[in-house]
This record gives sequence, C-alpha cells and structure tokens, in this order.
Amino acid sequence: MQEADLLLNYSVYLVIGLGGALGAITRYVLSTWIYQKYFYTFPWGTFVVNMLGCFVLGIVYVLGVENLVTSPNTRLFISVGFLGAFTTFSTLSLETLNLIKSGEIIVAVLNGLGSMIVGLIAVWLGMSLTQLLLK
Amino acid sequence: MVKISGQARRIRIYIGEASKYKGVSLYHTIVLKAKELGLAGATVFRGIEGFGANTRIKTSRILDLSNDLPIVIEVIDSAEYLQDFLLFLDEVVNEGLITIEDLEVMKYSPKK
Repeated sequence: MQEADLLLNYSVYLVIGLGGALGAITRYVLSTWIYQKYFYTFPWGTFVVNMLGCFVLGIVYVLGVENLVTSPNTRLFISVGFLGAFTTFSTLSLETLNLIKSGEIIVAVLNGLGSMIVGLIAVWLGMSLTQLLLK
Repeated sequence: MVKISGQARRIRIYIGEASKYKGVSLYHTIVLKAKELGLAGATVFRGIEGFGANTRIKTSRILDLSNDLPIVIEVIDSAEYLQDFLLFLDEVVNEGLITIEDLEVMKYSPKK
C-alpha cells in the first residue's frame, strides 16, 4: 500500500483509536488498583503496567511481525493502540522527576534505570517465550 | 462591616478536589456562598497527599492518583454569622468532613 493510501485508510485510525481508548482505561484501572493495594514511595502502578506492556509487546511482535500470525489491523490495535496507551513513558518521567524533587534520589534512580533495564528484559522474555512456544 | 474580634469560630471542610455541586466545583460553591452570606473570609487549601473515609490515597506524586486531591476550606467568623452557612454545608457536602472549633482571633483587619 502506498503511503498516501495508508494515510487515507481511516479504518487504521479507528483501530488504533479504539485500542488506545481501551489501553488507557485499562492502565488507569490497573495502576490505581495496584496503588490501593500496595502504596509505597516507589510508583509500582506505573512500573507494573510498563513492564507488563513490554512483555506483551514482545509476544505481539513475534506473533505479528516475525511470524505473521496476526493480521495488520490486530497488530495495530494491540501494539500501537492498546499498548501505546497502556504503557507510559511520560508518566514514568514525571514520577521520576517528582522523586528527585522530593530528595528520594535512590528511589528515582531505581525507577528510571529499573524501568529501562527490566523493560528490556520483559520484552526479551515475551519474545523468547513466544518463539519457544511456536517451535 | 461589623466583624470578629476576640472569640470566634472556625469551620473546616475536608472534601475532594473533584467533588461537585450542581456541576460546579464544591469548594468554589462553598466560597461563593460564604461571600454571599457576608462572612469574614474563606480560604481554600489544596493538599498534596491524603485519604478520606474511603481509604483511597490521593497524591500529587503519582499521576494516576492525583485527580481528586484533598481540599480544605477554612472559614472563620463569629458563631452567629455561621448558622446559615452551616445549614448550607449540611445540604451540599455529601461526602467529606466538617469540623467546628472555637478559637480566639488576635487580629482581623478588613479593608475599609
């Protein structure tokens, strides 16, 4: 499909938009539930949704891009729409900055670096497990 | 303007930032009513963290928990001026806490 055709393919926007709406709501519900259960200085809610999103993205990537098991629209719905809204880099950055401002430097470093490192591991884990299951 | 000196009464109203009355922010509605009744003054404070009767923590540190931060409204005036205001609060505050304390005012200097 030509780039111009892709931009005029409104069903793509609909699919991404629906996924995004669902992802954002799911993130809010899940993270606030986590905070009500386990409220600590460390922003566990954001951390868990981000890591879960990384893990699922690893699965979706292997299924959709490497093995073409899922349709393009399903891929867009889950990865760009749902997971795009489910995970959040901006909230992670804001909450890390809040921790720095309140003098909790160690927790801030753990949050920032931890999210990046555990995120990489989560994506790798999702991809590896899926590749293993598909063999 | 005949106003407080010596003995006075303070009303504190603890509500959430998201609380509304007829579609308008409840804290704003309360301040407008205090003004309408000619009370000596009203001050609204927004807390950065806290929880209420439903035990759900609200905090400005966590984005997802910052949509209903604690609000405290303080009104200080002579007891007799506060009667109608208290009746109004009873009607509009459906979820929250209202405290009443007697105190002594050292100085109150309204603009003339």
